[in-house]
Amino acid sequence: MNATFTGLELRRVLRDYVSMFFIAVLPAFFYLIFGAAQESSSEDAGNGNVAMYVMISMAAYGAVTATTGIGGMAAVERMQGWGRQLGLTPLRDSGYVLMKAVVAVAVAAIPITLIYLLGVLTDAEGSVGAWLLSALIVLAGAAVFALYGLVFGLALRSEAAVGAASGSLVILAFMGNIFFPLSGTLLTLAKFTPLYGYVSLARYPVTEGYVFNISDGTVTHEPLWVPVVNVSVWAVIFALLATWLVRRGRARQ
Amino acid sequence: MDTPATGPVAVELSGVVKTFQSPGGELVCAVDGIDLAISPGEVVAFLGPNGAGKTTSLDMVLGLTSPSAGTVAVYGANPRQAVRAGRVSAVLQTGGLLRDITVRETVQMIASTFPEHAGVEEVIDRAGLASLARRKVSKCSGGEQQRLRFALALLPDPDLLVLDEPTAGMDVTARREFWDTMHADADAGRTVVFATHYLEEADAFAGRIVMIAGGHIVADGPTEQIRSRATGRTVSADLPPADAAQVLARLRSMPHVIEAATQGHRVTITATDSDAVARELLGELGASNLEIASGSLESAFMTITATPDRGARTEQEVAR
Repeated sequence: MNATFTGLELRRVLRDYVSMFFIAVLPAFFYLIFGAAQESSSEDAGNGNVAMYVMISMAAYGAVTATTGIGGMAAVERMQGWGRQLGLTPLRDSGYVLMKAVVAVAVAAIPITLIYLLGVLTDAEGSVGAWLLSALIVLAGAAVFALYGLVFGLALRSEAAVGAASGSLVILAFMGNIFFPLSGTLLTLAKFTPLYGYVSLARYPVTEGYVFNISDGTVTHEPLWVPVVNVSVWAVIFALLATWLVRRGRARQ
Repeated sequence: MDTPATGPVAVELSGVVKTFQSPGGELVCAVDGIDLAISPGEVVAFLGPNGAGKTTSLDMVLGLTSPSAGTVAVYGANPRQAVRAGRVSAVLQTGGLLRDITVRETVQMIASTFPEHAGVEEVIDRAGLASLARRKVSKCSGGEQQRLRFALALLPDPDLLVLDEPTAGMDVTARREFWDTMHADADAGRTVVFATHYLEEADAFAGRIVMIAGGHIVADGPTEQIRSRATGRTVSADLPPADAAQVLARLRSMPHVIEAATQGHRVTITATDSDAVARELLGELGASNLEIASGSLESAFMTITATPDRGARTEQEVAR
């Protein structure tokens, strides 16, 4: 690990105010509007309340925005010639990937910390275990979406593509039951989209799998294997796509 | 690492071939059998038109790409090892810098990857960037960015410095400034290999010129020797329909003729005595539309690199 290099990479991201707005400020604002400001916010939701449920959702959204952007930019930077510059140094590919991963996790921790802090200051409530475990799952699961960004960057090779990848997260967040509780056919479809498994797992310490259906007021239980399979399958898909795209790039070198 | 008793060769390419798969799927041969040895302390210019194979050859010396056939050694080691050991470094063509960090941050970042390196402020000074150290890379001009790449190349204090068209896209002033900085540094006895298509750069800076065209070395020698191929003048004229091979043989046998080639009906001759050639052409050979141009390194370059049927290679030849 190279502390100077990692530190400078981290400073680059923090200095990018536009990105930081979408990574931290916007999800924090969403939490205040859709969580803390709602009348239902203090209603019970398992091992916590509704405010906490929304807090976890928005922290997850901010965290994947961070990792998607960092993964995508890493791919684009390397293809725009920075990879050649690094090829003239003793730095190995594995070392580079490790440093980018550390930066991605560190940046993902920013919206999580900020939104959880807002949760403490407003009326989010839950068991200590639920607070800690949900934060850890949000952080760890966000790493999968660094691969999602990487795939976009490798496939489309432009900074605009990275912006598109981050933008697409808004759609995936709606489709993944993050912003708005889905029901019926949409909820069934949602279970196949990439953000669904991730956010369901992150909420699991609070909900223990019980899902409140907003349209008819019923409560259903979803077994743990559903979000686990969702996350695993999407992680494998992103990893395979990224590997294939890297190989394709090498062959054309 | 073993080094031969005769002294190590800085760069050695033997039978190096590099083929690419083009996006269309066909094989393209960028480098087609290059043998070359460069001794420590030499300053060598790779001269050739775009697409001649200069960048690909240098990429193989730097370990950025591997040859399809043949071997490349840098100070007796494989290029990637030489890069890791900080023995070879390079100023690459445009691109390859992060735009959103400052000049000093860029140097710090690259410096941190080397276990041992020259001081950050020292290389910034040597590349003449002291007053720009806090400037964002995106706000630097092309010439300033190139000096930054030069600063990065100085970090490992390399024995071999490779410059790939270091002044491409610079204006005349920036080019002169860049070479002034380089001159100051090359006097330290470093081996320098640079690719360029500016002849005056090769002429002013290199002790040896290697001309590359169509993936081959077409000329290799001390700068004076290469330039001497251009002393004299270029004579061109239209020939009456006749046996071209016979006419060429006759022209080439003349004592003052260095080079003679035809393109269609037009013959181009490089000669030390242009008057004698002109007399021969207009008299015995019945030529018309005669033109005489004064010689230069440029014309030597054109004569040598424009050799026909060397540029194009068919797929069968590549696949052999």
